[in-house]
Formats: sequence, structure tokens, C-alpha cells
Amino acid sequence: MQPCSREMQGMSSLLNASSSQISLEDLQQQQSQSSSSIQGSQIHQIHASHYEPPPSHDDFLEQMLSTLGPPSWADLGGQPGKVPWDTTTTVPDGNGPNNKPRDDETPDNVPAFPFDESANLASKFRNHQISGGCGSKSAAAAAAAMMLQHQLMLARGGGAAGAGETGLVPMPLSLSNGEFDRSQNDVVDGSSSDVTLRFKHCTMDSALDLWPALVRRRTSFTILRHAIDFGGSMAAQQNYGASGPAMNQTQAPSGSSGAQPAQPRPRVRARRGQATDPHSIAERLRRERIAERMKALQELVPNANKTDKASMLDEIIDYVKFLQLQVKVLSMSRLGGAAAVAPLVADMSPEGNGGDCIQANSNGGTHGRTSNGNTNNNQTASSNDTMTVTEHQVAKLMEEDMGSAMQYLQGKGLCLMPISLATAISTATCHTRNPMINNNHHHPPIGSNGEGPSSPSMSVLTVQSATTGNGAAAADGSVKDAASVSQPW
Amino acid sequence: MTNSPKGFTLNNADSCRVKFARRFLRSLIEIKTRQTNYNNNLSSSPSSSSEIRRRSERIKLKAYSSMAHAVGPRKAWTRALLLKLHNRAKRHRFRTRKRSSLAMVLKKKRVFRVKNHANFYKPAAERGNYSVLNSDEKTEKLRELVPGGKAMDICSLLEETAHFIKCLAMQVQVMHEIADQLSN
Repeated sequence: MQPCSREMQGMSSLLNASSSQISLEDLQQQQSQSSSSIQGSQIHQIHASHYEPPPSHDDFLEQMLSTLGPPSWADLGGQPGKVPWDTTTTVPDGNGPNNKPRDDETPDNVPAFPFDESANLASKFRNHQISGGCGSKSAAAAAAAMMLQHQLMLARGGGAAGAGETGLVPMPLSLSNGEFDRSQNDVVDGSSSDVTLRFKHCTMDSALDLWPALVRRRTSFTILRHAIDFGGSMAAQQNYGASGPAMNQTQAPSGSSGAQPAQPRPRVRARRGQATDPHSIAERLRRERIAERMKALQELVPNANKTDKASMLDEIIDYVKFLQLQVKVLSMSRLGGAAAVAPLVADMSPEGNGGDCIQANSNGGTHGRTSNGNTNNNQTASSNDTMTVTEHQVAKLMEEDMGSAMQYLQGKGLCLMPISLATAISTATCHTRNPMINNNHHHPPIGSNGEGPSSPSMSVLTVQSATTGNGAAAADGSVKDAASVSQPW
Repeated sequence: MTNSPKGFTLNNADSCRVKFARRFLRSLIEIKTRQTNYNNNLSSSPSSSSEIRRRSERIKLKAYSSMAHAVGPRKAWTRALLLKLHNRAKRHRFRTRKRSSLAMVLKKKRVFRVKNHANFYKPAAERGNYSVLNSDEKTEKLRELVPGGKAMDICSLLEETAHFIKCLAMQVQVMHEIADQLSN
């Protein structure tokens, strides 16, 4: 008896308190939605219970339960979405706020949109209660009471409601949680009464505090889910009781994290603006892994200042090809003997672009490693031959179009540069290379590096060694003999 | 040559270099001796271009194999490289010993490429934007370059590529220094 009456009092007071606000909203917005029929039915049942003198606790509950079923909505005398609020004086159309279109963003609709989800969830919650064996009428009463709280709070003002009820719901749930779980016939009346009392207490005070909080549709959805899911962590929800501005931030992420099926799974609190369903998590992890690998590659490959993935891949491919080329060249140079060089060079000249590149490199490489004084002329001659072929090609291309000539050179790994720069580089690298060599066997045959024409191979060699030995970015490929090809700029 | 204290405190990279250098030198010596034996037996000119080409090819292969052995089979690309070299050597041996062609075919068939079925045959759109890299033409080129790259997804391919580049750079450097030393 007592719990029942208290419940009724609570509900009636709720109705009275919230009805004025509801009416305002109703006047503002009037549309109809079918989904709100659930809402309507529930409100109707409140309404009905309000007006019918409850003979007994059990009877009241039976009545409520009976009116919960969907078929009963038709009996409510309304078109779907219409609720016979007309009988009441204060609330002409109970579905006013409920009939808002589901629109998250506009503040006008803030009070309305949570209704749909809340209704569905509440019904689910109810079904869970009923089907889960909590068939005790006291349990159902508490459930119904909580549903009422949801709806009415939401009706009052979405933002406040969303925030307020979250502060509310965990509390009663925490109370009744154990009881619901443990047994079905436990007396939950006490808890339900506490619920109503607390609800009464909280709505008035906290509503204004939480009014400015912007509640997203998903947030309220989340909140209700948390409320309904007994396995969820109540502690997390206590955070919702924070002040308005804080609510904004906490609600958004919690909303996103709440978009999971209501299972007792450990919830991952996602960062703001990121979804947490397993597929996107996996996708995100994958993307991060790939990104960090690309970064590691960027450090390894020289000239890796490209931010574009495609060009970065190009660079990587080129670098790998270049390294493999160097291995090939070095393996050839091991053969030793000057005589071996000429056929090598002649052999490689008909090869493609990569071969031409080798040409220049191998000349330098072989000169550097295998040259003696005697064979220097021979080598220079052969290298000059191959160089002249390239030079002719480049000259021909330059007549047509400078760009294509540049590209041709680039394809060979060569570049144009002023003579002064070339000589400067060759002298510099020759000097830096000295410490690396134990004896100075090389130097006499090659002679001074001041003169460009006499040491085309030397310039090639020095740049190459500089590149490989010091890792200096003196040239990506080798430096073409400035005298033969380039024009003084 | 960088004088790393052999036998004392060798970090990973140094030990790799030392191992590689040792194996490579050993294989160079072996090639040299084989060459001289061959020359003694057949007295053919060692400086014919084809002969030179073959020798350089052999040296290159030896370089790669010693590199792969030095790193060890803990990386996918080394395993793939070792497998390839192993099969190649076997094929050579078969050719010289004139085994039956059937056996050769069978041996060749063993080198089949395992595609990562989970990822390869899904449409690109399904895999998200980074997964377009799986079938990109550039990725294909990279797969060809890196040994064993055809059977990896983009994630492991990038990882293998990084390690491969590191090892290649180290190989080039060591060979460079060896060449300098030898030619002095």
C-alpha cells in the first residue's frame, strides 16, 4: 500500500511539475510520429494511473502491465502517434515534444529527440525486466517508475534531462541493481520509493544546473543504455553528475563509446570523435601501424622529405634499386685487372637506363679500385666513349626540349652542373676521401683534380664514394663531366 | 675499415657486418680458387666477357647469400632469399649432373608463392584506404624488389623493406671497403 501510494504521489507530482513545461513545448512544436506512440502509451498509462484510484498495489501494477502492450495503443483512442492527452487540461498534446523530427543538431529539437530512443530503450528495459524473470510486480513498478523518470525528465528539457537523469538513474539502479539481480521477488518497493523520492529531489535542483548542457541524441541513448545495462560500470556514469560544461565533454565521448550492443563488455572509452566498434578500431590500428612503418622507412631513405605516400613509395623503390645496383657494380669491380673493365663497359652500354647509370658508376668504381698508371688511359678512353654517346644523346634532346633532356639525364642518374661546381666538388671529395685510404696508390695516376676534362671519371668516382662513404647527398647519381655536357649557367 | 673490437662488445649491427664480411671473403676466396682450378683444367681465357659476367654474377649471388646467412632466418626476406638461392643452386647442380627433367620440374614447383589469401582477394574498397596499397602498382614493384615480398601484406612488406634497406646499405658499405682494401 504505502509504496504504491508514494509511487503514485511521485508520479502525480511529476506530472504536475513537468506538465507546464511540456505544454509550452507542445505549443511550439506539433508534429506526429509513430514511434512516439510508445511514448504516448507510457504517458497514457501514467495518465491512466493518475486518474484511476488504485485499489491495490497489485492491481495497479497489473493495469500498468496490461497497458504496456502495443495492441493496447489502438485502444488509447488515438491515431498512431496521438495520445489522448486531450482529457487533461494542462497537456493538450502529449506527443508534442515527442513528435520532433529526429534531429540531433538543432537546439530546438533537443528536448524531443531523446524520446524515441528512450522509449525504445525503456520498452526494452521493461521487456528485459519482464522476460528476465523479474516478474515481480514490485520490480515492474520500479521499472515503470524509472521509465517515467526518463520520459518526463526528457520532456522537461533535453539537455537538462539527459544530464539530470544520468545523475539520477545510476543512483536508483545502484540501489536496485543487486536486488534485481539476486532475486525476482525481492521487495524492491523500498528502492522504488527511494527512486521516486530521489527523483523528485533531483529534478528540481539539478535541472537548472544541467540545462545548458548540450545533449546529443547518442548521448542520451548511451545514458539510457548504461542505465539499463546492469553489467555496466556504474562508476563511469557517476561522472555524468558533473556540472554543465563538463557534461558536454564527457557526454560526447561517452556517447560515442556507448554505441555498442548492450552487453556486459568492458567498454573502451574512445577519444573524442572516434568510433569504437571493433572494425574501425582494427582499421585504425592498421592505419597507424602502416604510418609508423612508413615513417621508419622515411628515415632510412635519403631525400625522404616527401609527405605524399605515393612519392614516398617511389623513393623507396628507387633507393632499393640503387642499392642493388651498387652491389652488382661492386661485385663486378672485384674481378680486378684493367683489361676486364673495357669489355664490362662495352657490355653494359647497350643496356637500358639503369645500365647507363651503371656505366658511369662502374667507370668510377673500377677506376677507383683497379686502376694502375698504365691502364688509366685505356680506361679514360673507354669511359670517354661511353660518355660521348650519352652526350650526343643529351645534345640531341636539348635541341628539342630542355625538359626531356633533363629527364633523360635524370633517368641515367646524372645531372647537369656548372663546371666550377663540379671541380669544386671533385677537389673537396678527393680531399675528404684521403683519410679513408691507407696508402696513396691511387693518386698519382689520377693526378690533380683541378682540371675538369682530364678527370671525368674521377669526379664521378669521388662523388660516388662521397655518397656511399660519407652518406653525403652530393649527388643522387653521379656527376656528369661538366666540361662535356653542361653549359656554364 | 671500421675497427670494431671483435669478440668484445658487439652490438647487433656490428656483429652482422663482421659475419657478413667473413662469409663474403670466404666465398670470394672460394670463387678465386674455383676459377684458378677451372682455368688450369680448361685453360680458357679468364677475361672473356661472358666469363667475367658469370663470375661477377656469382660474386653478387655470394654476396647476397652471405648477407642472408649473416642476418639469419629470423626475417621473412632472408628466408625467402635463402630459399631462392638454395633452389637456384640445386637447379644448377641438376643441370650439370643432367638429372631428369621431371625432377627439375618437381623441384621448381616447390618454389610456389603463398599468397596471403585473407587480404589479396578482397576488393580494395572493402579494405579501407590504406589497403589500396596492397594492390598498388608501386607496391607491386616493391614486392618484386624485396625477396619474399609477394606473399606479404603491405604492413609486413614495409617492415621487411626497412630491414632489407638497412642490410643492403650495410652490405654495400662492407663490399666497398673490402674492394678498397683489395685493390690497394
